[in-house]
Amino acid sequence: MATSASPEPARRIRAIDFALVLWPSFLAACAASVLFFAAVDPAMLRDAGPHLFAGLDREAGYALGFLFFWGVGALASTVSIYLIRTERGGGRADPPGAA
Amino acid sequence: MSVARLKSVPPPEAGDGPFYVAAAKIYPREIGGRFTRLRRAAVVVLLGLFYGVAWLEWDAHQAVLFDLPARKFHLFALTLWPQDFLYLALLLILAALSLFFFTALAGRLWCGYACPQTVWTELFVWIEQWTEGTRSRRMKLDRGPWTAEKVLRKSLKQVLWVALAAWTGFTFVGYFTPIRSLGGDLAHLSLGPWSSFWIVLYGLATYGNAGFLREQVCKYMCPYARFQSAMFDKDTLVISYDPARGEPRGPRRRGTPARAAGLGDCIDCTLCVQVCPTGIDIRKGLQYECIACGACIDACDDVMDKMASPRGLIRYTTEHAVQGEATHLVRPRMLVYGALLAAGSVALVYSLFTRVPLILDVIRDRNSLYREVRGDRIENAYSLKVINLDDRPHSYSLVASGMRGLELAAPLAPITVPAGSVSNIPARLDVAAPQAGGVHSISLTLTALDAPGIRVRETSRFVGPAP
Ligand code: SF4
Ligand code: SF4
Repeated sequence: MATSASPEPARRIRAIDFALVLWPSFLAACAASVLFFAAVDPAMLRDAGPHLFAGLDREAGYALGFLFFWGVGALASTVSIYLIRTERGGGRADPPGAA
Repeated sequence: MSVARLKSVPPPEAGDGPFYVAAAKIYPREIGGRFTRLRRAAVVVLLGLFYGVAWLEWDAHQAVLFDLPARKFHLFALTLWPQDFLYLALLLILAALSLFFFTALAGRLWCGYACPQTVWTELFVWIEQWTEGTRSRRMKLDRGPWTAEKVLRKSLKQVLWVALAAWTGFTFVGYFTPIRSLGGDLAHLSLGPWSSFWIVLYGLATYGNAGFLREQVCKYMCPYARFQSAMFDKDTLVISYDPARGEPRGPRRRGTPARAAGLGDCIDCTLCVQVCPTGIDIRKGLQYECIACGACIDACDDVMDKMASPRGLIRYTTEHAVQGEATHLVRPRMLVYGALLAAGSVALVYSLFTRVPLILDVIRDRNSLYREVRGDRIENAYSLKVINLDDRPHSYSLVASGMRGLELAAPLAPITVPAGSVSNIPARLDVAAPQAGGVHSISLTLTALDAPGIRVRETSRFVGPAP
């Protein structure tokens, strides 16, 4: 079993992990923002959306929308990395029974 | 553990995981030559365009401007609105197709010459070479103690890098909000919060990617770097080392004929490794880290010249050529990519040239099928959505046709719609009762009064009492 004293290298957070999370989600957020805002005018969200959006101007709408997509993407990337890294036998952990 | 654990370690690129960022810093050696000149030219042209085009004016507006606050896109004489999204989508598809085409043709041309990552890194490296000196001086400087000179050189580099990154961020944002007013705001220190936010974000990304991460972006972050090999085949031009000619490698005295010493043409000077911006040894074969910048070709050609051997120990070649077989330029893959690319380009150009900057939507009133009105006539109600996609206002005349005696009851005045706007207009059509029985297909035609070429036709239905 993978219960040796050495720390699981796969679970260590490395500097590059931040890039691996932030970069793909950034690209996805760019694509999502273009598609979404081509169809939806942020001013429309202000005028017709829930009260939350009152007082939102277009520039703020674009920026917050982009940050929202980026955040969602980053969350998904984080979970993916976590699942791959902690998968037993796959990813980079030991295969079952290897000791 | 031991053996099993070692064996379970996946391929090398993942295996050196813990060293990812701690990986030895790469000090690319400066080099001149054909490909280096080509790359410099590409950097100057592309960055010149990027920093320059933002300042061009056209017809009293910025020539290229994705005006996000106003939701319109100026491209020289053309003005596109969100409704024209199709063109943008088509353009992106074309960009992807040309990437496939050129990758299949000549490998990673994009990476070597056009990728923003390469282009800005090159610029940042120039600054580094200018402030900190050549490769060997940079290595010495980094190893040495923090002398006054080191502090001075390093801070000068940082100042220039930060200034360049900030200017890049500013220019980038200048493609989305008019750059001249943005510049004015900057000069008066009155930038809006969101403009500042984007400038800082883009500036940081430039600094981080081109100054700090560099080849690591290509190695660990770029999806294209990983899938480009899918577009390769044995006839794709790639940069490779000719082992048949080069091996066995080894140092020798200048003027020693290689074969006589039992050696190949490679003198093992490692210059090709020193110049490589991603720090790989091309002599180990094609590796996905290679961004096809051609620096190793230039380095090796120099050495071959000095050794009086023919150039091209490292060269652009194909797998087939290295194996001594014929290279085929025309092959099914190229034909398919090429045909798709040509078809897409034709479609884009055709649709742009035949674009009518007017959209008409006709929706029948859902509340009533028909209404009897004065004078024994039957009336149907519609709501029209008129979208003026031109960059000036227009007045349009509306004409109904498709049924004998069909008349437009409203609107009677021309419909005026400001530039880039949508108007919702109720419309009523009527026809004498005897002619109205049943369901008829009719059409509505909208024509700009000042430009008869701007005309659209939409069909709808006219419903009368069951006959
Ligand atoms: S590997 Fe990716 S980031 Fe690097 S040059 Fe190629 S496309 Fe650009
Ligand atoms: S191997 Fe040669 S072509 Fe490839 S990245 Fe290195 S120097 Fe550039």
